[in-house]
Amino acid sequence: MKRFLHHLFFPHELNNHRPKLLHYPTLAFFILFFFVTQFVFVKTEANFPMVLGTKTDISTQELLLLTNKERQDNKLTTLVLNDRLSLAAELKGENMFAKNYWAHNAPDGTTPWYFFKQVNYNYIYAGENLARGFTSSKDVVDAWMASLSHRENMLSPNYKDIGFAVIEGNLSGENTTLIVEMFGNTQAIPLAKKQENTHQQIPQTKQETSSSILPSSIVRSPFIDSHAFVLYVAVGTVGIFLFVLIADMVIIERKKIVRVVGHNIDHVIFFTFILVFMLFIQKGMTL
Amino acid sequence: MMGWKVQEHTVYSIFLFIIVALGILLALQFPHNKQMQMLVIVITTFFYVGLGLVHHKENHDLTTKIVIEYALIGGLGMTIVLFFLLGSQ
Repeated sequence: MKRFLHHLFFPHELNNHRPKLLHYPTLAFFILFFFVTQFVFVKTEANFPMVLGTKTDISTQELLLLTNKERQDNKLTTLVLNDRLSLAAELKGENMFAKNYWAHNAPDGTTPWYFFKQVNYNYIYAGENLARGFTSSKDVVDAWMASLSHRENMLSPNYKDIGFAVIEGNLSGENTTLIVEMFGNTQAIPLAKKQENTHQQIPQTKQETSSSILPSSIVRSPFIDSHAFVLYVAVGTVGIFLFVLIADMVIIERKKIVRVVGHNIDHVIFFTFILVFMLFIQKGMTL
Repeated sequence: MMGWKVQEHTVYSIFLFIIVALGILLALQFPHNKQMQMLVIVITTFFYVGLGLVHHKENHDLTTKIVIEYALIGGLGMTIVLFFLLGSQ
């Protein structure tokens, strides 16, 4: 075993002074392995979600709690969960899956405000935040707060009501979780300055709305958490290659062996880029 | 001559490092957009392979084996990122 690992990780006479891990067939094997594994993962997740899937815990209650906490931290009034807005959010989410789009406006021109009208929520102010691909309520709220336009919605004093929908489906061939957050206010705020941007719209008529909890959540605990598994395997593999490349570089330099190979320092810089990318990039999207 | 070679390698490595750092900065501009992230990775990988081959060509030591090596390492990096981005949904 020790000899095998030495053969795999360090340059010596028997592996032609190049670690076996850096031989072309081994590199080709790893490319094939990751390509096939990714394909198998996608298929297994689709057919056996309880065996392999992303551990998910997103709920309306927690989204509401976290959103209101952000508002309280910014000395704003808390928002009230509104059944009609939650229904509008649900309709918007279903519409996105049915028409296969990821945008505020549908390809046929349907705007978010259409869904407010569908549930008879006659807004003075309205807004919409979207998210997909997240695995926890906290990650969703953090991502919205990190984006200027979404943050404006989250912390707008113009809103009084809020509604959420957390729904799963297939978007452009990818199984994903959509989170739709809709804000609204049916009452005019004195001296309020009317605004209009991607996430907001204005006047209509006044109307009373009900407010109660409409639960919507996705909690899933598969046998294997694919999110964590993919992260560990990908980061671990890049880490091992970085170790082998650096070890190879140091040993060959010390032994002053001449070889016709690429510059290890280039590969180290490249793999470091891949590693940093994977560690710092988040997988969810907001819109 | 030897000193010039070392200096040339260092300048080249710094240049590659800057390209890669720009790639990371660009990727961070699209924190929630898989398509753009993948595009940034592909572009950076092409720069890495292209720069590596140009550097070897200038040193007059570009061989088929080296071309294969850069292509395989670049391909592996891209495949790992693809696995990372699409492997869990």
